[in-house]
Amino acid sequence: MAQDYAEYLAINVLNEQQLISYRSLSRALKVHVNLAKQMLYEFHRKQNAKKPGSVHATYLITGIRREQTPAQTNGVHSQKDGEDTVMQSSPPLPESSAPVPEESAEEPVVVRSVLLVKEEHLAQAKTTFESITGIHIYSLQANGLNDVQSLTECNRKIAVDYASEDPLVAWKQYGTIQNPNVKRRTARKGPPPAAPVTKPAEVKLKQPAPAAKSTVPEKQASKDSNTNSQDSTTAASKRASKPPSAKATPEPTKKPAAVKRQDSNIFMSFAKGKTKPQKEESQSSVEAATPAAEPEDETMAGFSDEEDDAAEEGAVADVGEVANEPEGKSKRQREAELEAMMDQEDEVMEDASPEKSADGDEGAIDKPNSQHPQQPAKDTIIVENGRRRGRRRVMKKKTVKDEDGYLVTKEEQAWESFSEEEPPPKKIKAQPAASTNKSAAAKKDGKPGQGNIMSFFGKK
Amino acid sequence: MANDAPTFRSLVTHFTDFLTVAIHTILYERNIYPRTSFLSARKYNFAVRQSRHPKVCEWINDAMAAVETEILKGTVERVAVVVYNQALKPTERYLFDLSRFPIVGAADADVPLERKAADGTTVSVLPVVDIEEQFRATMSKLANCGTVLRPPPVDGTFTVAIELKSDGQAPVSHPQPWMPVEAATRQGATELQSRRTHPLRAVVAGDLMFESWIEETPAAD
Repeated sequence: MAQDYAEYLAINVLNEQQLISYRSLSRALKVHVNLAKQMLYEFHRKQNAKKPGSVHATYLITGIRREQTPAQTNGVHSQKDGEDTVMQSSPPLPESSAPVPEESAEEPVVVRSVLLVKEEHLAQAKTTFESITGIHIYSLQANGLNDVQSLTECNRKIAVDYASEDPLVAWKQYGTIQNPNVKRRTARKGPPPAAPVTKPAEVKLKQPAPAAKSTVPEKQASKDSNTNSQDSTTAASKRASKPPSAKATPEPTKKPAAVKRQDSNIFMSFAKGKTKPQKEESQSSVEAATPAAEPEDETMAGFSDEEDDAAEEGAVADVGEVANEPEGKSKRQREAELEAMMDQEDEVMEDASPEKSADGDEGAIDKPNSQHPQQPAKDTIIVENGRRRGRRRVMKKKTVKDEDGYLVTKEEQAWESFSEEEPPPKKIKAQPAASTNKSAAAKKDGKPGQGNIMSFFGKK
Repeated sequence: MANDAPTFRSLVTHFTDFLTVAIHTILYERNIYPRTSFLSARKYNFAVRQSRHPKVCEWINDAMAAVETEILKGTVERVAVVVYNQALKPTERYLFDLSRFPIVGAADADVPLERKAADGTTVSVLPVVDIEEQFRATMSKLANCGTVLRPPPVDGTFTVAIELKSDGQAPVSHPQPWMPVEAATRQGATELQSRRTHPLRAVVAGDLMFESWIEETPAAD
């Protein structure tokens, strides 16, 4: 093993001129990180003894820094968002990853700093520390390190190359810090039912959705038994009168959803009684599984996954995926339920319209929205000379007079050919707008309903 | 970024995106603009530097649009980013050799491309993952190029140049984005000998193939 590391480092650092951090060395040679740090130190010393300046090192110093003068700390802006790390205006100062020290003179807070230092600045950095608790080599590279940012590449490579190793097993070997109380989560039992389609309930449900998965099956069982057991309107109105409560726990978030559903039940009760059980039935089917994989949901989640690609953001992508799925699934269920409603008798249609408007504008929003996931999947677009031509499925309304003399408006899908004048947007200007695009897209995803509500009110 | 069927245009777009990032990185590494005017961004899953000055970004985007137009015509052999010193003498060139790009007529720029291997199986024309990886490797080499090159010129400036193929038509039109320049100045024999070349990377990802290297002109007076 002793010879391996020298060989490995010689190949990677000197020949291939790569950046090797202690972490990547420990993963590659399967040794403890402390041993890797020592290896790096030894190699650095030997190579520089043979040929000075052949290998450069970056050090990591942990400790308590001395009180810095305000002029210096002004250069360190808060690094809350990763996008904009303002570099210190005077280059000789070592670059710092320390949290901003609190400037309040009343209570001096002890700040432990972790500093990444190039070897040229090592002595200077040491003097800025009052006491040093730890110092070791972070990485080695053949020539100097121009941009400290390039060290991030080492960690990304580790995450990719060694993704197959189970961290709960490997931590002992590598020496990663491990929380003894951590244990793996068991697979969730069965797909829990999806939430109903009303959008505000949707948004509230998104946050506790991952946590609430286990409680939802129980809730569902109780709800089913409730709705199927009796069909008196009084019980429905009683449930409806419960005020929508705060959304801290999963249970209350179900209530606003329940309130909305019961509202529709009230209106349904004005219709002939037989429609009610059917409506409730379809609603219990609406509350079907969230993570049941649907092709539409996969593509939607896929888009969000494409955006943030890194393994570190796997957690974020997961939440986004989970949040997208209930929405997409319930829209389809909603559509299926609407279709089911349309197949019923005429009287249902008349009560359905006040019911729809009572549901709030979410009803109107959901339908056109539910078409969107389907449309791209089915239309054919031919790009020709920058123009988009092709056929696509469009919802067209047909008003038909019924046997009873009632006018019934049905929405049907029909094919239509279209041609667009504008060329598809070019992607040249991706760079400066990259970060703003992401935030704008995130904002848009968060409030689709609001945008459509305003269109409902017409142009002003 | 790749649609279900990549076209030549998407190939070129990938390349010009990469060039944009490369130029920003070169500006940062060679201190053409103060380092404080750059912010950290992420591209190809890699930390890169991007200039914050709107005029700089605008200039680079316009330059890339012009380069893209030329590449689509199929006349470009090489793209060079040239760094000058204060006396307007070139100190170094970052070259990207595009001669291995697929030759597609201008009218076919939007036709989906497909490549079949010798045994008839379809090979990916534009594997996005491969591309990302290779671009990332090139960027990391570019980011560290500052250590092998001579110290950058003080108060230098830069520009983008393209070298056309011998049968290409020069882009002189109105409005004129490109300025024609004499190529003869580069041919001095002694100059060629003392020029140092540092290879960057040969990127091969499906049909997107190009080579990149850095040329340093001999130590100036």
